[in-house]
Amino acid sequence: MDFLQPALDGFSVVLEPTNLLYCLLGVTIGMLIGVLPGLGPAATIAILLPLTYGVEPVTAIIMLAGIFYGAQYGGTITSVLLRLPGEASSVVTVFDGYMMAKQGRAGTALGIAAIGSFVGGTVAIIGLTFLAPLVAGFALDFGPPEYTALALLGILLVATISNGNKSKALIAACFGLLLATVGRDIFTGGERFTFGNVNLADGIDFVPVAMGLFGLGEILHNLEERHRAAKAPAKVSNVWPSGADLRQASGSIGRGSVLGFFLGILPGGGATISSMAAYAMEKKRAKRPERFGRGAVEGVAGPETANNAAATSSFIPLLTLGIPANATMALMFGALLIQGVTPGPQLVQQEPELFWGVVNSMYIGNILLLIMSIPLIGVFVRILRVRAAILGPITALITLLGAYTINNSMFDVTLVVLFGAIGYLMKKYGFEPGPLVLAFVLGSLLESNLRRSLLVFEGDVTGFFARPISATLLLLFLLVAALPLIQSALRRRRTRGTSPEGMPAEDSDRTSVKENA
Amino acid sequence: MHKTPFRQALLGATAVTAALALTACGGNVGGNAQASGEDFPTEPVTLTVGQAAGGSTDLIARAVAEGASEDLGVPMPVVNKPGANGALATQEVAGAAADGHDLVLLNASLITITPLAVGEEEAVSLDDVEVLKGLSQDDYVMVASKESGLKTVEDVKNASGTFSYGTTGVGTGSQLAQTILFEQAEITGTEVPFDSGSPALTAVLGNQVQVATIQLGEAKPQIDAGEVVPIVVFSEERNEFLPDVPTAVESGYDVPVAQYRAVAAPNGTPQEVKDRLVEAFDAALASEAYQQFNEQNLLTPREISGEEVEAEWTELAERYQQLVEEYDISLAE
Repeated sequence: MDFLQPALDGFSVVLEPTNLLYCLLGVTIGMLIGVLPGLGPAATIAILLPLTYGVEPVTAIIMLAGIFYGAQYGGTITSVLLRLPGEASSVVTVFDGYMMAKQGRAGTALGIAAIGSFVGGTVAIIGLTFLAPLVAGFALDFGPPEYTALALLGILLVATISNGNKSKALIAACFGLLLATVGRDIFTGGERFTFGNVNLADGIDFVPVAMGLFGLGEILHNLEERHRAAKAPAKVSNVWPSGADLRQASGSIGRGSVLGFFLGILPGGGATISSMAAYAMEKKRAKRPERFGRGAVEGVAGPETANNAAATSSFIPLLTLGIPANATMALMFGALLIQGVTPGPQLVQQEPELFWGVVNSMYIGNILLLIMSIPLIGVFVRILRVRAAILGPITALITLLGAYTINNSMFDVTLVVLFGAIGYLMKKYGFEPGPLVLAFVLGSLLESNLRRSLLVFEGDVTGFFARPISATLLLLFLLVAALPLIQSALRRRRTRGTSPEGMPAEDSDRTSVKENA
Repeated sequence: MHKTPFRQALLGATAVTAALALTACGGNVGGNAQASGEDFPTEPVTLTVGQAAGGSTDLIARAVAEGASEDLGVPMPVVNKPGANGALATQEVAGAAADGHDLVLLNASLITITPLAVGEEEAVSLDDVEVLKGLSQDDYVMVASKESGLKTVEDVKNASGTFSYGTTGVGTGSQLAQTILFEQAEITGTEVPFDSGSPALTAVLGNQVQVATIQLGEAKPQIDAGEVVPIVVFSEERNEFLPDVPTAVESGYDVPVAQYRAVAAPNGTPQEVKDRLVEAFDAALASEAYQQFNEQNLLTPREISGEEVEAEWTELAERYQQLVEEYDISLAE
């Protein structure tokens, strides 16, 4: 078990006081913004990104990761107590969580959610621990052709799996791809869309784009939303669920962990999708599905477990391949780049302290969250009373200050304002900024690696299929592209829906989500 | 520390000037803004770097700034303004007030190589700034993958037409050195540009490209581990950290390419201020901490005067221009 040694060494990194402090800070901020509807983890990370500039890379990522999975806990609280999902990934928790609260079982719902989140998160970390070195073993086989195939698959998945309107997601992704072409052509030195502006010579920086779209755009959009006055939350008592509740939920927690883990790894997947899929799966499996929506414990346990498992497992493609699976991971990607660390297959070997420090911090972070989530519920609920008119300007100010400090550039501040306006308009008209940002990141990866591969292959496209990894990835790409056709063919043939696992189930999941929404 | 009394006097002087400056504040607006050597520096001296934090240029800037700030008695914050190979930072400092409080750390490649590949608005010339002090030389080494079996330039020549080579980008020393060498040795290979040194090295490790030229500091760990094979160094003399690797020059090729770094101030900086700054940098370069830093980062000191730097870089720029024209090489298409 030699490979476990660096993993164990990672604990000594996490247990350094500074890192513990930042871990605590991260999960606390995460829970906080999880409670606040509107302000999501992506926005928060975008806003706080520049502040991490001055600390060690491992410390910075530990904190940012804490924000991400901490938000999954926080979002639950308001879903259950106020019927107000703090995060998109906790929307489905409202159905049964709030009903449970109305029946006086709010404590049980929150307790189950916290335990489920903890289990889901832990299962995913263990998966990450064992899977990452495996992937990293192939590190050197990942050349330009493999990255081309991976980026291609990523962009397709982003557009097909992402929640919301598919054609709008595709349009946003195309815009992101276009943005990625700005700047000097790294193969010929030719200028593209720079209009003679030296600031654009290296292309548009990812961080101001993300800070604008997620940070400022989100703030602007929130200010416009009419805020409901915070209702008096349901009373919380009896947080520890009874043995009967636990028995009832244990299956859902197990299934949610596995489902969330796998959906989190997929590019375009993540916490929101897996929580919805888990809810649909639980409802489908239930002997009496009519209980769902009326306070079924499984309806809270499944999604809450899955969203945390997915939040954790989405670190796998980023830390092992350098491919961000969702918008928040794209921000982590940016954070690592700011720190001078390029995420990729070599990260595990070259920066074992960073890698294992971050991975192991998630164990600690999950324990902290489990401890904090119950006693602090009252405090978090009170935060909801802070008016958007106060919160908005403060966060906007922090965003703009932060944007300046990264490169000491006023041009970046202008970019943030510009993309803030774009992000606001996108939200207003139902476009998700996620696919744009992901396509923007993957677009430059795709272009440069495709051109590099073609140079190596001397223009021979079949070269992609002569390499095992890129061939497999491209086959997968074709499969995903053809999936909708296969699905509709299957649906026509299928007489009884007896298959709970695998691809066909995913399809039926999606339809049932629509029924619920 | 024989300099201590002087430094204390200086600190005292600075404190007095600072106090004077404070009391005189409001009435000073229309006054003579030009600082003289004695009351310089009156405020922190900013050292701008055109590269991102964490890279070798940034590390050098921070090492130099630490020593110089100690000698000057004021802080010397390093500010990163990455963009266009450093043109952005250089243009900004060139336009700043010439009072010695805004300096820039220059990469020679920006002056000598980048203009061969980019448009005029991105090119920076030495006429825009005054160089204060040369710092060090960072050598390029060409490495080959283990699988390729290439060990010498001769091997590469025999593999002509069947291999591809990585560069660290268009308009870099890595690209220039390899294209000139291959032209002179009549070697043909497929050029594959990467974004920087580390992905190019990874591609060699995975044998996706068979050779690549990167900076020594980046390649050394993998060379020592035996994962890549060093073929040739592009400095004029053998590098002290790789004494067994031949230079391109001694193999009979005229390819003297290395990265040099220097500090510069805006044009028109008063002579006394420049003298004071050079004195501070000399003190920084003489410190043991800085010398250790050079060794750790495999940098060869090249601590020459500003005039010498300007002459040397101008000559290099002309030489590269000639070579590029002679062999009809175009770095950019």
